[in-house]
Amino acid sequence: MARKCDLFQGTLDMLVLRVLSRGELHGWGITQKLEQLSKRALQVDEGSLYPALYRMEGKGWIEAEWKMTENNRRAKYYRLTRAGRKQLETEQEGWDRMTAIIAQVMQST
Amino acid sequence: MTFLRCISRRLRHLFRRQQSEAEMAEEMRFHLVQRAADYAADGLPDEEARFAAQRKFGNVGGIQEQAREAYGWGWLERALKDLRFALRQLIKSPGFTLLAIITLGLGVGANTSMFNVLNDVLLKPLPYADGMQLDAIYRTPGLNAVDPLEGGVSPADFLDLRREMGVYGEIAAYAYANTSLSEPGQPAEMPRAISITPNFFAALGTRPQLGRDFQVQEGLHGNDRVLIISQRYWQNRFGGRADIVGRTVRVNGEPHEIVGVLPASFDDWRHLGWVDAFRPLGFDTEKSADRHDTMLRLIGRRAGALSRAQAESFIASFGARLATDFPEANAGSTWHTVPLNDVGWGKGATPMLAMLIGLSGFVLLIACSNLANLLLARTMARAREFALRSALGASRTQLLRPLIAESLLLALAGGVCAVIVARWAGDWLSVRSTADNGEAAAFALDWRVLGWALVASLATALAFGLAPALFAMRLNLNNTLKGGARGTTGGRGHQRFRHALIVGQFALAMVLLAGAALFIRGLDELNYRRSGWESEHLVTGTVILPAASYPDADKITAFHRLAVERLESLPGVASASISSFTPFFRWYDSRKYVVEGRELPERGREPAAVVNGVSPRYFETVGTRVLAGRAFNERDTLAFSKVFIINQAMATGLFGNENPIGRRLNQPGGSANEWGEIVGVAADVKSVLPDQGPVTYQLYRPMAQEPRARNEIAVRTAGVASSALIGDIRTTITGLDPDLAVRQLQPAEATIVRANYAMGVFRDMLCSFAVLGLGLASLGIYGVIARTMAQRTSEFAIRLALGASIGDITRLVLTNGVKLALIGSAIGLFGAFGVSRLLAAAFPGMHTNSPPVLIGTTLLLIAVALVACWLPARRAGKVDAMLALRAE
Repeated sequence: MARKCDLFQGTLDMLVLRVLSRGELHGWGITQKLEQLSKRALQVDEGSLYPALYRMEGKGWIEAEWKMTENNRRAKYYRLTRAGRKQLETEQEGWDRMTAIIAQVMQST
Repeated sequence: MTFLRCISRRLRHLFRRQQSEAEMAEEMRFHLVQRAADYAADGLPDEEARFAAQRKFGNVGGIQEQAREAYGWGWLERALKDLRFALRQLIKSPGFTLLAIITLGLGVGANTSMFNVLNDVLLKPLPYADGMQLDAIYRTPGLNAVDPLEGGVSPADFLDLRREMGVYGEIAAYAYANTSLSEPGQPAEMPRAISITPNFFAALGTRPQLGRDFQVQEGLHGNDRVLIISQRYWQNRFGGRADIVGRTVRVNGEPHEIVGVLPASFDDWRHLGWVDAFRPLGFDTEKSADRHDTMLRLIGRRAGALSRAQAESFIASFGARLATDFPEANAGSTWHTVPLNDVGWGKGATPMLAMLIGLSGFVLLIACSNLANLLLARTMARAREFALRSALGASRTQLLRPLIAESLLLALAGGVCAVIVARWAGDWLSVRSTADNGEAAAFALDWRVLGWALVASLATALAFGLAPALFAMRLNLNNTLKGGARGTTGGRGHQRFRHALIVGQFALAMVLLAGAALFIRGLDELNYRRSGWESEHLVTGTVILPAASYPDADKITAFHRLAVERLESLPGVASASISSFTPFFRWYDSRKYVVEGRELPERGREPAAVVNGVSPRYFETVGTRVLAGRAFNERDTLAFSKVFIINQAMATGLFGNENPIGRRLNQPGGSANEWGEIVGVAADVKSVLPDQGPVTYQLYRPMAQEPRARNEIAVRTAGVASSALIGDIRTTITGLDPDLAVRQLQPAEATIVRANYAMGVFRDMLCSFAVLGLGLASLGIYGVIARTMAQRTSEFAIRLALGASIGDITRLVLTNGVKLALIGSAIGLFGAFGVSRLLAAAFPGMHTNSPPVLIGTTLLLIAVALVACWLPARRAGKVDAMLALRAE
């Protein structure tokens, strides 16, 4: 198992938005997807995920709908809104810029 | 767009709370199940899988809390929860809650009802369109300031003003004019009427609701046989009939046509009084030139462009021009304007109102002290709970929140109670202030009053709810927690504070009681003052002879003679008389006199006397004694020389010890044949009204020598009750002239009591305040004594065990209470003196200083305190020593 790492709150938002940009998922699905994409390095706490989801829903970046899963259970599916898509772009740009700056600093002699 | 969606989502969460919560729970459950399945798939047994999933999930409750925060209604939910908790606490102690609400309601209610009266009488603007543009224009003759309602102008001056007014706007005039109104088959009436210029209603911005306004040509003398009536008169007298416009009635004996009915909104009593009928004001050529009869009152509506200052200077300069152009009529007079909203009958009641508001403030203070005591005791009883919560980590705000919530709820309930009390008071006042024509001042509650009630109860409840709470904060945690399970009474400091409150309450109650008692006594004395007349077995009424049917002295005298003759021939009548004024009210005819054979005093400094014209048998009818000389007889008519009768004060003042009989008087500047001989001296006569007027000399002249149209009829009955004769008297008068109405034909006693009616209402209000204050104060002292004595049960038990008798204990408790009451009364006595001074200033002529009354009030207060302490005292004495000591 890869090392678990701590995430800033802002980055969790960005990751969730990225995951949802590929399609709508419910909360459990998002957890699974994040674990999968990060090769089990990222194990998101429910205590962080759901408040983040509600917060982002409050800000209008994602919207929710109750649907039936494949196993015929009711679950709340989240998907990106147009504002969410724009937010994702913004955050991605910001993240890229920040990592470039940090890399530059770290690699200087 | 997203903002709207955000709001809608929040609202949805707020209103469909249960659904949101259920959804959240279901979402969490789904997640848990999936994770458990995941673990199970990894090989954990089912139970283990579930536990592991739950552990991983963490604090579900915490997550839900955070989620709820994200929806942003957290503060509201917390507040609602506090309120619900407070409600439960209040319901759990119904006695306290009820007492607190009633106390708050009565205190704030008394205050609110006085504010209601203040609002209706003084604050509400008059119901005229664009009231800010309206002014009252009045004239001050000479030196002393004159009330704008009294400062009339003469017709000639008014016509000059109208000619010169230019761009002022609109100026209208009116004059009070008594009229009789009759229809065939119905008895004649005397409605209150004023004569107005045709532009009067237009200037005020009112239009008749039926029919039309007066037209300009109807302002000319001779064209003025038209009438406009008020809504109230239409309903009361004419039964609201639909064919009112165009109806003909006889006014002062002549047929007039009713051309319009005013809207109900015009019935504001504050400006003109309750006027029922309006006639056009028309001057004949003689009257138009009259510069002396200051009968007109003026109203001006400024044109939009004209400012108040410009209007004032215009009027003032007009007045100055008049003074120089016509010195013998207008020398020394000045003209002024004042906003119409500042003028009104209510203004005269300002001292009474101020006193009432002050006294109701006292009642409120007493109620507040009660509330403070109640809440303090309650907080002390919960001191241990506060100490515990504080020790468990509650912050100050968290401790204060339930207290604030409780105070808010009490304030709300108390405010509602106060509004109900104010409503009752308003209704009662409306009934009591019904005027003779059936009109009542409606004291309706408007938003100002409701707002005041709410603000006052909020302020009171918060101030007196928080203060005990702040007390609680200061408690030493350790001592409180250790101090036994029953809660504390508080230390010496709290005890002293409570006792100080009681003393204060009794001081205020003393002031209220004393004020009421002094006023009652003063008013009674006024109403039953019999100074110079006998009002038992006497019937009086007012008759006004219209100029059209009685144009000259002969006609009037003939009527007088016939009337007296016919009245005296009625069975049960001992004597009848006609006079200009009754002895029990003020005489308004004031003239100056000089004595023959004496050096003329300085011009303007001649002695003045009020004059009453009377018929021959006046003195025996009204019961004024003739002390020397003779009364008038049938020979004292125009054909013979003038005679006078003067009162004792005038005789002593003008002649000292000399005999006034035979001396002669005349008015200064009067012609030679107007000297009149003094033929008799009568007793002094004092009116029942508190204000006697400045002149004490009274002079009588025979009615026949100067007949007047305004007459007071007096009939003395013998052997029958006065009320039985009223019908006969009225029939006699209408038999003489069917167009004559007799106003207020009733026993003299009724008229006298009615005259001081307003003061009777004032007295009732003072009494209710006093009773209220006393009741609240006694409740207060009962509560405090009961509580402090209950805390001392163990002490009493020990005393009893050591040999004290029940009487000793009872006496201990009683002395405690009575001591507080005594101190309070002593302090209150100073306040009582102050109140009697105030009453004397507001009602000159009423005797308000009375030591027996003050002593009586003190005794009453002490008796009430005794009664209030009696119950706790008995309970204290009945303590079972063993039980009390063991119940520690």
